[in-house]
Amino acid sequence: MAVTRSADGSRTTQSGGLSGGLNTVGLNMVTLAAALGVWQVGSVLVASPFFPGPMKIVGAFVELATRGDTFGHSLWTHAWASIQRVLVGFGLGVLLGVPLGLLMGLYPRLYAGTRSVLEPFRFIPPIAWIPLAIIFFSGLTRFAFLIFLGAFFPVFTSTLVGVARVEPIHRKVGVVHGASKLWILRNVVVPTVLPDIMAGMRVGLGTAWLTIVAAELAGGISTGLGRMMVNYAELLQVPQVIVGMLLIGFIGFLMNEILLIIEKRLFRWRWQVSL
Amino acid sequence: MHGHTQMTSRAKIEVDTSHSYGDLVVHESIKFSVAANEFVCICGPSGCGKTTLLDILCGILKPSRGHVLVDGAPADPKTQSISFVFQEPSTFPWLTVRENIETGLRIKGARRADIDAKVREIVGIVGLTGFESYYPHQISGGMKQRVAIARAFATDADLILMDEPFVSLDQPTRERMQREVLDIWRHRRRTVIFVTHNLEEAVFLGDRILILSAKPARIVAELRVPLDHPRDPLSPEFMALRAQCVHWLHAPAAASGAQALDPIG
Repeated sequence: MAVTRSADGSRTTQSGGLSGGLNTVGLNMVTLAAALGVWQVGSVLVASPFFPGPMKIVGAFVELATRGDTFGHSLWTHAWASIQRVLVGFGLGVLLGVPLGLLMGLYPRLYAGTRSVLEPFRFIPPIAWIPLAIIFFSGLTRFAFLIFLGAFFPVFTSTLVGVARVEPIHRKVGVVHGASKLWILRNVVVPTVLPDIMAGMRVGLGTAWLTIVAAELAGGISTGLGRMMVNYAELLQVPQVIVGMLLIGFIGFLMNEILLIIEKRLFRWRWQVSL
Repeated sequence: MHGHTQMTSRAKIEVDTSHSYGDLVVHESIKFSVAANEFVCICGPSGCGKTTLLDILCGILKPSRGHVLVDGAPADPKTQSISFVFQEPSTFPWLTVRENIETGLRIKGARRADIDAKVREIVGIVGLTGFESYYPHQISGGMKQRVAIARAFATDADLILMDEPFVSLDQPTRERMQREVLDIWRHRRRTVIFVTHNLEEAVFLGDRILILSAKPARIVAELRVPLDHPRDPLSPEFMALRAQCVHWLHAPAAASGAQALDPIG
């Protein structure tokens, strides 16, 4: 698959691009070790309970993971609660954002006619919906609603924009061979828009994580990583708060990586996959 | 599939149309017919509405007046077997060479076994064997255009319309592709309407050449090319025909002599 295009020797071949093998991994390992080192040394020098070093964090992590928090909830209970909420809300956002984006992209009048209603909503941050969500919904519904708002618009907007990118000539290939509208949608429009959909999904996922933590911080429930962090913050227990933060970062990173792997699989036809 | 030996009579075309966009008259009166299995080239100055004519011929654009009949029925890509090769790159970048070539067959709902057989045959004819699993960005412009031609011929369409398919290719590639198209056409006889503004190409390929005037377009001349393939562009007969084409292409639109040559109709 690795096609290198050396025109006449004057042009150097591009190898690997941004994901260039062991060198990058090694470099990242060194950076990570250095950062942890500086942190550990700093914490020893400051010697304050509010500035725990990495070793303290690891200790807090092991404790939370094995024995659970002060209420008896394990770290995994919290993490799974958050992940579940994100997946439901995000899933709803994609399930609605993609078809609606396709529909309005294919029939621009539909978008033009509803713009004045749709667009202002896009600029209300999901976090601003938290007070209303607390009044109207409870439990999973509340979180699903808020995360849906965070995930829907990035997915919807990039799908909408992507449809405009469909090459008229590609549509015409279908038309001159007698293809139905549905065939063109499935075999021309969707493949063209897919990279935009995936990009929108990654942005949406970022917003979803952002929203879930904020929503959980707002309270009303007993589980979730955000909730766990607030509980420990109230007890002035910094290591446990940081464990929550790092786990949120790590899970978000993992989900993004999964989407990237899917993207690489789907878009083998592309010259390069953007990061 | 069996056209080569059987010589079934395919796609006789009758055209009698005029077309305008609002006040802009694109085609004043276009009237000609094409015999089954004939290779007809249409030449004209740029902007004379050749692409519009092809859209009308394949039935995706309704002419303001008149009709296009393919074997007696109005041209319609949904009901008739028509295929198209475009001027600009038209392969789907997300499909492999093989999947691109299959496109027309898949739209027609062909069976998997038939698709495989036809694709294998056509891939060999256009010289893409070994490149079936490549993506368009991995092959050259000339190869991409061969994919588009293979896609058109794979459907076994009775009528194949080609809109300046080689215009973006360099001269050697263009010449090779012209020979290849003739080769395919001889292997799998069918009606071809080939639009070009390159007169040498027209004389090299066509059984017959129709020359359009500038807008509002009409047919100013019709020339038969009585030369056997392969044609030698340097032969006196070839050059004489080419000179005739040049003459008609540059003839003033209102020339009275043109009427006398108005084709068969």
